[in-house]
Amino acid sequence: MASTGVKGFFREKKKGKPGATKKSNKSASCGSDVVQPPALISHATLDLQEEYDEKEEVLRQFDMNMAYGPCIGISRLERWERANKFGLNPPAQVEIC
Amino acid sequence: MEVDSENGLLQRKQATYQSLDETFLIAKETYKGQQYSQIYFARLHLMRTMLYSLLPTWKPHLPSCTVLGLEQGKECVIVGTLYKHMKLKPSVLDEYSKERSASPLVQPCNFLHSDDYLVLEDESGRVKLRGALLLPSIYVTGIVVALHGKETGAGDFEVEDLLEAGLPHQIDRPLNSGEDKFVVFVSGLSVGSTSANPLHFQLFVDHITGHLGDEKEQGMAAQIVQVVIAGNSVEIGRGLLNGQNLGSKDQSKLSEPIKELDILMSQIAAGIPVDIMPGEADPANFALPQQPLHRCLFPGSAAFNTFRSCTNPHSFELDDVRFLGTSGQNIDDLAKYSDATCKLEFLERTLRWRHIAPTAPNTLGCYPFTDRDPFFIEMCPHVYFVGNQEKFDTSVIKGSDGQVVRLVCIPKFAETGTAVMLNLRNLECHALTFGSQFDS
Repeated sequence: MASTGVKGFFREKKKGKPGATKKSNKSASCGSDVVQPPALISHATLDLQEEYDEKEEVLRQFDMNMAYGPCIGISRLERWERANKFGLNPPAQVEIC
Repeated sequence: MEVDSENGLLQRKQATYQSLDETFLIAKETYKGQQYSQIYFARLHLMRTMLYSLLPTWKPHLPSCTVLGLEQGKECVIVGTLYKHMKLKPSVLDEYSKERSASPLVQPCNFLHSDDYLVLEDESGRVKLRGALLLPSIYVTGIVVALHGKETGAGDFEVEDLLEAGLPHQIDRPLNSGEDKFVVFVSGLSVGSTSANPLHFQLFVDHITGHLGDEKEQGMAAQIVQVVIAGNSVEIGRGLLNGQNLGSKDQSKLSEPIKELDILMSQIAAGIPVDIMPGEADPANFALPQQPLHRCLFPGSAAFNTFRSCTNPHSFELDDVRFLGTSGQNIDDLAKYSDATCKLEFLERTLRWRHIAPTAPNTLGCYPFTDRDPFFIEMCPHVYFVGNQEKFDTSVIKGSDGQVVRLVCIPKFAETGTAVMLNLRNLECHALTFGSQFDS
């Protein structure tokens, strides 16, 4: 079986793939602002639970949500604070993480 | 105003000044590698929230949706940033294209083409716009508007109506105080250029400081309470700035224009409050908002507390009359990418779009802000000016809520010898021209 070495490689790739730029990304979010994007499934196994814990899941959902703007080039805390300033009510959990 | 005719002592009038430039300062910003998508998001959010609040009075019966939520045939309102696809817009990639067609060596000043089309974009997606109402020659990239229409079979959006932000709220100007107080605007002094006549600027300085003329003329000069220099005050020869090391003789050539400007500025500052804004040709940063010219450039004038170095764009209040203006880069950029009968029309459009420089950062250099857009006009000014234009022009526009704005185009002094005088009491404007040719 592909050992932890390969899994480690794939994990790097997943974390580093933002995909949510301002230019249209039709697969990211559809229509409404508040909809959470679907979970990424790679390799047809839900191996997310193994590498990610709940906290990282919440953080990733925050990153991917287009309502708070692009996530590239801005730190997560800054993006959260900007969302807060704009009155977009970002989840308070993210600030704690 | 005291007039003592015995020994001719005149007092200059004064006005209370308050600078509103804080939003244009970037000293507190840090660059962490952010891209321009952040400022576009901030702009879209800011203006969309504002447009959504205007929708109930505009089209109350229509739903609003995002670009991806469009359904074919369903009438709705969408709000987003306009992008104008321009065929002739210069692209840095043209330098690398292998095939060199018979392109003209001289770049056109205006990049409009009949094939240009508009696209509306928000976070979810973009859609091409169609409709007779939407003339691409008027609009530019970067404006946020609300559009009423429906999606066609071809996937385009057919526009039936358009809503711009409109003039922002304006605080009423204080009623006529009875006194005439004047603000003098001048721009494009181009000290150090070969075509500028230094005598004209000296005449200007002598006139406004009251060193010229008889009592009556001095009385008029005593009514001037503020001078605003709107950019391009120096011109440094382009030949010196070719990236090579300068010899000592050339180095002094580089600093001569600024030294000359400082001497003249100290003459003005000794008598009247003066605001100096950086322009395209001045030794300031390139991207908007341009930061104030450094005090060390003006060793003589900076000693006076009447000397103020300001940002470009510049916003201030004088006796509760609100001024807002730029040194011309925003309007000149609009002139390259859109069409209008006169520069005042561009000025009016930027006010109605509620954004000083919509083409920033697309074609106009801009600092990559992350959480705000300082070019968004929050309060309507009473006087809106632009410097470094070809000729003096002025008009008054009215808003739907009773706002009244005086628009002023300040001509280049080095070319026209003309400055602008504005009366604070009634916001009337006239030109002040200096000449030294005596044709018999």
